[in-house]
Amino acid sequence: MNDQMSLSNEIQTKVNDLFIKGFEIPSEKLTPTASLYEDLGLDSLDAVDMLVHLEETFKIKVDGERLMEVRTLQNVYDLVAEVARNAGSETVAQHAPALTANV
Amino acid sequence: MTMAPAVKLALVTGASSGIGKGIALRLARDGYRVLVHYNSGRAGAEHTLEAIRSAGGEGDLIQFDVGDAAAVEAALESHAKEFPNLPISVLVNNAGVHNDTLLGIMSNEAFDSVMRTNVNGPFYLMRWCVRKMLRARAGTIVNIASLAGQTGNAGQANYAASKAALIAMTKTLAMEVGTRGIRVNAVAPGLIETDMISEIPQIGEMVKRIPLGRVGTVDEVAGVVSFLCSPDAGYITGHTISVNGGLFPS
Repeated sequence: MNDQMSLSNEIQTKVNDLFIKGFEIPSEKLTPTASLYEDLGLDSLDAVDMLVHLEETFKIKVDGERLMEVRTLQNVYDLVAEVARNAGSETVAQHAPALTANV
Repeated sequence: MTMAPAVKLALVTGASSGIGKGIALRLARDGYRVLVHYNSGRAGAEHTLEAIRSAGGEGDLIQFDVGDAAAVEAALESHAKEFPNLPISVLVNNAGVHNDTLLGIMSNEAFDSVMRTNVNGPFYLMRWCVRKMLRARAGTIVNIASLAGQTGNAGQANYAASKAALIAMTKTLAMEVGTRGIRVNAVAPGLIETDMISEIPQIGEMVKRIPLGRVGTVDEVAGVVSFLCSPDAGYITGHTISVNGGLFPS
């Protein structure tokens, strides 16, 4: 249970970091219910870019069509958690590199 | 300490002969490190690479079947892992096949195989590359279409349809990614001096209809690709540039 908690915290931190550094979104806007498109101002191409970020950060492979289901930041956390769980969660915990602002 | 100039990587598919080889040599001369792609023509690709190196350029070989989505992805991922600091800046989708016959007697296989290489192939490559280019906020794609894709051509329903599809895909992707500084264009060669046209029986008659009165050279196609990849073409995207001696002024 603790492991699961820390994994989900880690996902949240890294995803938020991606939005702060990669998309220059102020951290106070990053609430779980925030809509990627309406509240955070992403467009559909940003969403593709986000997917590539997520794949590289978490070393996962996400089916591009899953983006259609993603509306809120919580949806992003859940999607990463689900894909990472299926792929083996160690990958997320051990190999995720620090994000850079190079986007 | 001096910094080495940043080398940019250009992937040219189908670079073992003909127009692809010419484009690979030209981009190497322009300063790109060239990924010389081949599927079955390894010997030809090795010649291309030797020619690049003997002219003082840099390059590597890469092999995969462009029509096999998994193979495309595996090869490009593996290259990206090996060279993490050398992303693909330029993609030239040149690999293509033809299998000509009249539509009335064209087999499913003849149709599907041409679409697979000429349409699915560029799609798989562009999908992979554009995702990386989105991150980089830069990149250039040039698709090698054909005059047949602009005008149609008797005996080439499959080939003409595939090249028309490539032109439409070029326009569409240009619209999708323009805001991220990625340019996507096509080049439509007419009759070019390659093995492909040496098989055409009535070539003499066709040349008579070309305003410039001759077939074109591989270098004349490669030069246009070079231009489209250069900053001089910085405001050009979604276009198909015809290189056909005036045969079809588009």
